[in-house]
Amino acid sequence: MKTTQIILNAILSKRIFEYVLVNRDFQVIQASDGIVRYLNAMPQKGEDVLEYFPEFIGNEEEIRQIFVKRHCLYTLESIYKNEYYVNISIEYCDQETAIILLHNITSIAVTNQRLLQYSNESTLLYHTLQKVVDNQNALVFVANDERIEFANQKFLNYIGVESLEKLRENPFNFYTKIEKTLESYDALFERIQSGKEQVKIGKDTFLIQATLVESTYKLFTLTKITHLSDGMQIDPLTGIYRRGYFDEVLAEFLHKKDTFALAMIDLDNFKKVNDTYGHLAGDKVLKSFVSVIKKHIRKDDFFARWGGEEFMLLLANTPLESAQMKLDRLCEMVAQHPIEEVGRVTASFGFTYSTPEDELDTIIQRADEALYEAKRAGKNCVIFKK
Amino acid sequence: MVRKKILLIGDFNVGKTSLIRRYVDNSFDEKYLTTIGVKISKKCLTIEGLECELLIWDVEGQTPHKRIPHSYLKGASGAIFVADVNRSETIEGIDAHITTFLSINPHSKYVIAYNKADLLTAQQQEMLSLSGDIFLTSAKENLNVERLFITLAKEMLL
Repeated sequence: MKTTQIILNAILSKRIFEYVLVNRDFQVIQASDGIVRYLNAMPQKGEDVLEYFPEFIGNEEEIRQIFVKRHCLYTLESIYKNEYYVNISIEYCDQETAIILLHNITSIAVTNQRLLQYSNESTLLYHTLQKVVDNQNALVFVANDERIEFANQKFLNYIGVESLEKLRENPFNFYTKIEKTLESYDALFERIQSGKEQVKIGKDTFLIQATLVESTYKLFTLTKITHLSDGMQIDPLTGIYRRGYFDEVLAEFLHKKDTFALAMIDLDNFKKVNDTYGHLAGDKVLKSFVSVIKKHIRKDDFFARWGGEEFMLLLANTPLESAQMKLDRLCEMVAQHPIEEVGRVTASFGFTYSTPEDELDTIIQRADEALYEAKRAGKNCVIFKK
Repeated sequence: MVRKKILLIGDFNVGKTSLIRRYVDNSFDEKYLTTIGVKISKKCLTIEGLECELLIWDVEGQTPHKRIPHSYLKGASGAIFVADVNRSETIEGIDAHITTFLSINPHSKYVIAYNKADLLTAQQQEMLSLSGDIFLTSAKENLNVERLFITLAKEMLL
């Protein structure tokens, strides 16, 4: 104990540590004078130490283990006591005595508290701003050089990326969707500065605007404007796009040199349905067929009524083999789908794959030829033509 | 007299300190002051003739960068998990807090507070369907605060 006392006196003289000696029954044996500023009273010999240290309540058994295991240490950090922050530890001294040591960390705790306050307020502000931007109707992103620093949820949803981190792994992911020849966000920014710009992403048209934020960050806002003319482009019976708009989209895909599969689809024996069950039943068949196809294609695919019982389906970013499998499956789904009053109907699919030399007429002609072959092959099948 | 350690646990800025201040001192301060470490408050109460002293641990809120130290959780008889009803991420985080707490104190009791109800409109409050152990609270307007603590105390004592 003498050595311990000398050490204690040395550290206590710096007023950083104070102590209380306790016995196995948690009764006070002795305490340093300075302890009073943390406990607001001077513990007297024989008093219950739990009156001064409610921090130990609930952990009495664990603390008693100090006397059994001897080298065991019980510690609690950053405890606020009477306007001070202290680390409290209890350590074995001898068979009958343990020492409760209070380490004054007020100075560092207050500094940490200020930093934490600043950090928490910043996090709250960030979350609030994120929610505000996420709730905008426009797609919003901020680019710095080739890196997207920020994007709202609508933007991520639209381009099908689950998080900003994923987007950053492939920074070109987005602007190749706008146009293949786009070199950088800076180039896009310069172009937008010289006038209003519209971009077409898939089947949607966006008005794109850009603002310089500080000196290097560029804020891009894409507002969808397709819907303004949608009403005129939609087939009222089936609710899908009409031929004229499909041609525009197809021309856009060819212009951007995107690779895609194009399928021309014709309902088999449709005239017979009309003649047998009447035109209302025929309309029902058309609607039912469209609903089956729509249910099984992706957001990026483009489906339109070409005329009468003829339809066009553009499968974007789909390799040839996947396109074949997808169309085979669609053909099966149509044939398996029962239609009230009429029963089952089938469709023939003719499809082709885009080439860099293709123009509107050439690719449609190949799809048409493939469809003709499908009809000649007995209908209810999928035929590919190079 | 029975003494019980209880904790208030939740993400930062959900109002843990304010709930304690309202319950212990019947006071409220609009200003947000981050808690660091732990502050312990005491409150005596009598439940069906049984006297009890609650030792209420106001634990520093969890942030994305700082977890709650397990040493604070040990020896607790109960916990109040607090979320800000206006911040969905704090509600979603409750389950993880409960799991951690029960892994250390498997037999302890708990209740849940969806706090800051004063920021909701009456209609929004009505639309919330809360199960039995979840309380819609407001430290500012003293809504359900006493009930929250008493319910937990009964769970622990009776």
